[in-house]
Amino acid sequence: MDPSGIFPTSYRADRRVVRTRWQAIALALFIGLMLAAPYLASGRIIAVMNMMMISAVIAVGLQICTGYAGQINLGQAAFMGVGAYTASILASKTGLTFLLTIPLAGLSAALFGFLFGLTAARIKGFYLALTTIAAQFIFHFAVLNLPSSWMGGSNGITVPPAEIFGFRIIGETAQFYMNFAVALIMIAGAFGIVRSRFGRAFVAVRDDDVAAGIMGINVAATKANAFLIGAFYAGVGGALWAYLIRFVGVDQFTLFNSIFFVAMIIVGGMGSIVGALIGVFVIRIIQEIIATVGPNIAESVSFLGGDIVFAGMNVILGGVIALSMIVEPKGLMHRWNILKSSYRIWPFPY
Amino acid sequence: MVYFVNDIITGALIGLLYSLVAMGFVVIYRASKVFNFAQGELVIIGGFIVWFTTMQLGLSLWFSIPLSLVLAGLVGYAIERIFLTKLIGESVFSMVMVTVGLLILLRGLVLLLFGPAVRPFPIIFPLKPLFLGDMLIPMNLLIGGIITIVAALGLSWFFNRTRSGLRMTAVAEDHIVASSMGISVKGSIAFAWVLGAILSTIGAMIFLSGKSLTFLASDIGFAALPVALFAGLESIGGLILAGVIIGIVQSLTTNYLDPLIGGSLGSVVPYIIMLAILLIRPTGLFGWRTIERV
Repeated sequence: MDPSGIFPTSYRADRRVVRTRWQAIALALFIGLMLAAPYLASGRIIAVMNMMMISAVIAVGLQICTGYAGQINLGQAAFMGVGAYTASILASKTGLTFLLTIPLAGLSAALFGFLFGLTAARIKGFYLALTTIAAQFIFHFAVLNLPSSWMGGSNGITVPPAEIFGFRIIGETAQFYMNFAVALIMIAGAFGIVRSRFGRAFVAVRDDDVAAGIMGINVAATKANAFLIGAFYAGVGGALWAYLIRFVGVDQFTLFNSIFFVAMIIVGGMGSIVGALIGVFVIRIIQEIIATVGPNIAESVSFLGGDIVFAGMNVILGGVIALSMIVEPKGLMHRWNILKSSYRIWPFPY
Repeated sequence: MVYFVNDIITGALIGLLYSLVAMGFVVIYRASKVFNFAQGELVIIGGFIVWFTTMQLGLSLWFSIPLSLVLAGLVGYAIERIFLTKLIGESVFSMVMVTVGLLILLRGLVLLLFGPAVRPFPIIFPLKPLFLGDMLIPMNLLIGGIITIVAALGLSWFFNRTRSGLRMTAVAEDHIVASSMGISVKGSIAFAWVLGAILSTIGAMIFLSGKSLTFLASDIGFAALPVALFAGLESIGGLILAGVIIGIVQSLTTNYLDPLIGGSLGSVVPYIIMLAILLIRPTGLFGWRTIERV
C-alpha cells in the first residue's frame, strides 16, 4: 500500500515497481551494499550469502507458482535438479559457456515442470500437488536408472568452473558476483511477471479458478504456465548451484529440499516476492545456525544420534512451517506491512 | 506358470497392504477434507510404538498390540489437537501445508528420539509362509490382506450408512456449512486423525512383522499414495480394487520387466499409473464428481 499523498495519475505510474523516492534510495543502497559485500564481510558470510542468493532465485520461482498461482508445488527440488544436471552435463561434455548453460538449464527444467503442469488440464486443486511429488520420484528414478554415462548415475557429475573471457569464476567472491547478477535479473523479472497479464491471471486463478474461467482466463494454461515459470527459476537456481558446488548428485535434490523451499515462502509470506526473499533469509539463517550448533549439541548430549543436524533441521523447519501457518498464515511480510502502515499513520490508530 | 500365479497373488497381497496404508489417507480426507502428506510418518511412529511396547517394555503381544493401538490413537489425537484444531475456519490449503510441515517435523522427531539405528521388529504374524501346492504365500501379507478387506468393508459401511459417518462426510464437503448445521468439525477431524493413526499402526505391524525397523520404512506412505488416488480419495471400498490392481502391476513389472531393462522400474510404475489415471479420470475409479459453483 502506498503512503498517503502518493496518487498515481497514469496507468504507467500505477504499475511502477519502485513507487517512491525513498524506495529508490533504499534499493540503490541495498544493491550498493551487496556489491561491496565481498570487501566488507568475511569468507564464511559470503559463502552463506551465495547459498541465499541461489535459494532466493528458486524460492521466488516457487512463490510465483504457489504464492501467486496457488498451485502447491512439492517438486521444486526436482526441477532444480533438472536444471543442475542440464547445466553440468552441458558444461562438462560440450564445454558451453555458462552464459548459455544457465538459460538452457532453466529451459529444460521449465519443460519438465510444464509436463507436470499440463496435468492441470484435467486435475484440479491439490491433486496437482501430488503430481509434483511424482515428479520428485521420477527425477530420482531417471537419474539413478538411466545409463550412468548419461547422468552419472549414483556417482554424480563433476562440473568444470564457469569461465568468461578467459577468466575462471572460482572462489567465493567471483561466484558471489555471478550469483548476484543472475539473482538480480531473475528477481527483477519476477516483479515484471507478477504485474503483467500473466501475473494477474495467476492471482485470479489462485483466488477462484471457476470464477477466473468464467472471466475468460484459460485456467489450465495458466496453471501450466505457473509451473513452467516456477520450474524455470528452479532450473536457473540449479545451474548456479552446480557451478557453486562444482558437483551434482541426486541426493542433493530430495523431497526434503523441496519442503525447505516451501518453508521459505510460507515464513516470508505467500503472494509477495519480497516475502520470498525474507523467507529465504530467515530459513537459511536458521539452517546455518543448526549446522553450526548441531555438532556441538551432539557431542554434549550423547543419547541423541549422530544425525542430529539433519534431524534437528527437520524438527525446527517443520515446526516453523506449522507455527507460521497457525500464528501468521500471511507470513512475515504481512507483519511488516502492518508495522509500516502503523508507523505511517502514527500517532493515530487508523 | 506357477511362478506367474504366485507373483500375481503376492502382488495382490502387497497391494492390499498399500490399500491399508492408503486407507489412512482416505479416512482423514473423508472426515476433514485434509490431505495428509505425513501418512508415512504416522506408519513409522506406529512401528516405533509397537517396537517400544513389545521389545522395550517386554509385554506379550496380547497386551502390547492393543496398548500400541491406544497409544497410536493418542498420538493422532495429540497431533490433531496441537496442529489442526487451531486451523479450523482457515483455508484447507493451510491445513494441507501444516501436514507438509508435519511430514518433516515427525521425521525429524523420530530421528532425534530413536536415531538412524536398525532395530528388529517383533514377529507378530507367523514367519512360515503358507504353501499352496508349489506356491508360497507370505503369512503376514495374507492375514494383512484379510484385515484390510474387513477394515475397508467396515469403514465403508460406517462412512456411507451410519449417522455419524455421514456427519463426517458433511464436514469433508464444507467445514463452514457443516458447523452451521450443528456438526462438530473439531470432533470429526479428531476422530479422523485417531483412526488414521490406528490404521497406520496396523499397517506398520503387517508391513514390518519379523523385519527390521528404521525410519526409512516411512516410504510406504508415498508408495500408498497412488493407490489412494487410483481409488479416488473419497472411496474406502474402492481401495481394495485399486490396491490389488496396482500391486499386481507392480509385482509383474518387478519380476518380468526389470530383469529385461535392468532398472527398478517396479518402484516408479505406481506413480506412472497415478499420473495416467489423474489424466484420464481425475476423480479416480470411485471418487466423487464434485460440482463447483462460484
